[in-house]
Amino acid sequence: MIELLERAAAGEPSSPAVVTHRGSWTYAEVLAAARNVAAALVERGITRFAVVEEDAARLVPLLAGAALAGAEPCQYQPDTDAAEFREHAAQLGHDVVVSRRTDLGDVVVDPDVLLAHAGEPPAAAERQPLLIRTTGTTGAPKAARHDWRVLSGTVAEARQRPGQRWLLAYGPHQMSGVQVLMHVLGTGATLVAPFPRQPRDGLAALLDPGVDCVSATPTYWRFLLAEARSRGVDLPPLQQVTLGGEAVPPDLLSAVRSAFPTARVSQVYASTELGSVASVTDGRPGISADRLHSDANPDGTLKVVDGQLWVRSGVGMLGYVGEPDVASEDGWRATGDLVEVVGDRIEFRGRDSEVINVGGVKVHPLPVENRITAVTGVEAARVFGRANRLTGAIVAAEIVAADDADHDELKAAVRAAVEDLPRAWHPRSITFVAALETKGGKTIRRIEG
Amino acid sequence: MTADRVRGVIATFLTGAKKAFDPELPGDTDLYGGGLELDSLEAAELSAMLEDEFGTDPFSAGEEMPETVGEVLAFYEAAATA
Repeated sequence: MIELLERAAAGEPSSPAVVTHRGSWTYAEVLAAARNVAAALVERGITRFAVVEEDAARLVPLLAGAALAGAEPCQYQPDTDAAEFREHAAQLGHDVVVSRRTDLGDVVVDPDVLLAHAGEPPAAAERQPLLIRTTGTTGAPKAARHDWRVLSGTVAEARQRPGQRWLLAYGPHQMSGVQVLMHVLGTGATLVAPFPRQPRDGLAALLDPGVDCVSATPTYWRFLLAEARSRGVDLPPLQQVTLGGEAVPPDLLSAVRSAFPTARVSQVYASTELGSVASVTDGRPGISADRLHSDANPDGTLKVVDGQLWVRSGVGMLGYVGEPDVASEDGWRATGDLVEVVGDRIEFRGRDSEVINVGGVKVHPLPVENRITAVTGVEAARVFGRANRLTGAIVAAEIVAADDADHDELKAAVRAAVEDLPRAWHPRSITFVAALETKGGKTIRRIEG
Repeated sequence: MTADRVRGVIATFLTGAKKAFDPELPGDTDLYGGGLELDSLEAAELSAMLEDEFGTDPFSAGEEMPETVGEVLAFYEAAATA
């Protein structure tokens, strides 16, 4: 992290590193601020801290400064509820909070004080820890321990691209947001970081001040395209479009390709625990099956066990907070993603935790969802389990309809679209909603009572 | 009044499920074999539609599962007069 920033600042010191609604900061300025932060952290004896900060212009030097000092930052969502924050911070042992908010605890340090601290920066720390909280929708909060030096392995040799502008569509507290940050710093590009980070804010940033590259979830892309359609705006050309964080529905992939015909379209597969695992740019759903481990391909980093994808990652986490390092003898880890090998592709079927048990039949919501979102007049849809006394659960669908769509006709079209699926897979509850429930930019498909 | 609304939901469900039925939906119409021929998935769907409309449904909340249209109506009549 700090090394990437130093490399970019040495190459093009006056090139803009971060652009927000407040202004623009050069690589030289961000590096100077990061050194101030490192000096301040060392002087105050802060070795790990929570960060609650929405402004990327403050966040980037805070994270880089922490890396230089060897202190472990952990970001929380900027709008996190104060009571919930205190509970989670207590569980993760965060006594020190860096934030401009004043409702978060006893030891709250103003980030501006750290950023403006005049002091001698320390030599780069050997270990550069980073804690990333998972966006899991169930259970107690978990946080994965990472090291910036391990994570940045994927961009260590990256070609410098000063002037290329990347939109920050993810929260920088998410692994995907961290990936974007590292890619920008690793290539000497510019981070365009509006806040809030909703699809409509992203669309506004595409139009002004303008970006070249966008990485976001399929759900985010779907809403960005819908927003552009309903506002009747002409989308500017992009160089790079990246989709990740969820399985990519085939209809969305083609919608993105036709909206940005000159862009290179990549699908990335990464997780909080595993870091970046795979990336494909051939425009087809899924991952190439030639990554599968076998006797003939002993270097393969993927394998399928009982329908679930297992990964051997070189850039994964060290372990969860409060648990020992996970590096096992063979390095394989289960991902929780259900897959099927179809021809030369590994195709995603959904999350292990999303499977709906309908009267003993295991239903994967994703294929159902893909059928529904391909229906004309459906802007977006989510498929999930709904508790039912008769069958344990039924398949439920929530649909965001296009403005001019007739709901009865749409229901009939949805029924027709799923007719050839097994009967247990048919949505038994179809409702129309104004917006889908999402978390961290991803569609929620867990079972509802 | 409620009975008409309940019959309306049942009719909407049966139409969507492409089932043949007497539009009057007499109370003695059997939901399962010999009547509407609902299987468990269809009954589950009907229960979800009734719950969406009325906030509760006889398949989930009742002590005994309804077996006829009349028993579905009776559940809501009992709820209305309770």
